[in-house]
Amino acid sequence: MRGLAGKLLHLDRRVIFVLIALATLIPLLRPIGLPVRISPEVRQVYDYIESLPAGSVFLLSLDFDPASKPELYPMAVALLNHAFKRDLRVIGMTLLVTGTGMAEKVVSGVASEHGKQQGRDYAFLGYSPGGSNVIIGMGQDLAAAFPTDHYGQRTTDLPVLQGVNSLRQVNYVISLAAGTPGVESWYVYGKEKYGFELGGGVTAVIAPGLYPFLDTGQINGLIGGLRGAAEYETLIGMKGKAVAGMDAQSATHFVIIGLILICNLFYFLTRRTTIRSFGSPQGRPGSPREAGR
Amino acid sequence: MAPSVLIGAWVAAGLTLFMFSFLYKDNPFFRFGEHLYVGISMGYTIVRIYYDVMVKSLYTPVAQEGKWWFLIAALLGLLILTRFIPKVSWLSRISFAVIVGFGSGVAIPRIISSNILQQVQGTLRPILNAGQSSFGMAQFNALLILIGVITVLIYFFFSIEHKGAIQVAARIGIYFLMINFGAGFGYTVMGRMSLLIGRFDDLILFASRDYGYASLVLLGLIAFGLFLWERRSSALSDPDQDRRAAGSDPHAEG
Repeated sequence: MRGLAGKLLHLDRRVIFVLIALATLIPLLRPIGLPVRISPEVRQVYDYIESLPAGSVFLLSLDFDPASKPELYPMAVALLNHAFKRDLRVIGMTLLVTGTGMAEKVVSGVASEHGKQQGRDYAFLGYSPGGSNVIIGMGQDLAAAFPTDHYGQRTTDLPVLQGVNSLRQVNYVISLAAGTPGVESWYVYGKEKYGFELGGGVTAVIAPGLYPFLDTGQINGLIGGLRGAAEYETLIGMKGKAVAGMDAQSATHFVIIGLILICNLFYFLTRRTTIRSFGSPQGRPGSPREAGR
Repeated sequence: MAPSVLIGAWVAAGLTLFMFSFLYKDNPFFRFGEHLYVGISMGYTIVRIYYDVMVKSLYTPVAQEGKWWFLIAALLGLLILTRFIPKVSWLSRISFAVIVGFGSGVAIPRIISSNILQQVQGTLRPILNAGQSSFGMAQFNALLILIGVITVLIYFFFSIEHKGAIQVAARIGIYFLMINFGAGFGYTVMGRMSLLIGRFDDLILFASRDYGYASLVLLGLIAFGLFLWERRSSALSDPDQDRRAAGSDPHAEG
């Protein structure tokens, strides 16, 4: 048993990659349809949008770039679908320059599916430099922070922005963020001073750091990672890419939990024998040296 | 299907597979994709900055709307570039002074209010309200959070020796930190797996007939390329090894 454990602890890491790849690929090709449980923090975002009367101003700040697309793009699609279905006046923007094209694509794409007209039903302001300073600027004068929208039209001339002079007239802001500037920036520099309600949609990596803000009511809801996106898709009854990915997510988690348990078991079985380090002297693939590249 | 969509799918599938090829080992496909990513990101950023900053936020307000005071900000921006000219690099300090002064002035009060005062208030409020209602799950959670906050703060309090009650509290603080690290790691794994699922999702889509089996064709080509690269690498390294083994290393001095 100890011999086998020793061999497995020296296993080429590429075997683990293959296991993870299979655990991801098989459920994507043959979905199982595991149930998606709705968490309270996601439901709070849904309920708040449901409570907004038609014509309310909803600002979606897509503060992410293509590196976070798999997690945050499905969230953006779900939220925009919900907002357009509720006939809210939607304002899209981004604080991340590399996300501009993708943000424009998702806002205009979902809007056209609902027959919404740019400038009349929704606006995409695009990118403005400055991060947190843009939020402060929007709080003072939206037209000064964004004199023109992404397409070069003057924001003061857009019918959808009539009566919206600053963030004070915005009913609900959601920041879809993968870091800074993101949800925290919108809270610190926006909500606290200008008084709008704020929700967050974030990558799984930064979600734990935002729970303290949720507990204290500084944000009213939180959609975390692909799981959060799947919950939101389930809530609006529009199952998309996030729900489709949940089976694969569960399968990979099972594999990883199994590997952690097996590795720890084998480690305790062999720690009194020869297993002290798993590095190979030649630095061949699978060694920590290769992994550190 | 539009040719641009088809070309985009082939490029996307190819570059994804280039990056995944690193899981086998570091190789020229991966390095090509990596360098391309850095270059394209930088190029895209420069183009967007040009239109969104230089044109929209500087040229248009100054040239078309007569807002000449925007030139002051532009001048401060240009002064930063004097860092590259040693004789006048001191001028850049003016810009940095403005940035630091403005940034600190804006950030410090807001951060203190949001991240300290309101967090402390949020931590204590449920405890203070506990007397008004029966002790339920909400109050228990609040108490747990309060214990966590205090014990972790004690763990990071190094001015007194961790002995007796302080040691016990610090040890409890370590457990809270460990749970936090575990939750963070779990979420990180979930995030990374989501990224993998996203790429696999696209690869599966691009493997369909509509896209000309892009993923499958490119996977075969990359695998063949890696095979040729491995053969070439081993062919190049073998003679050296043979010579070293015979004591005639061509790189050896003398």
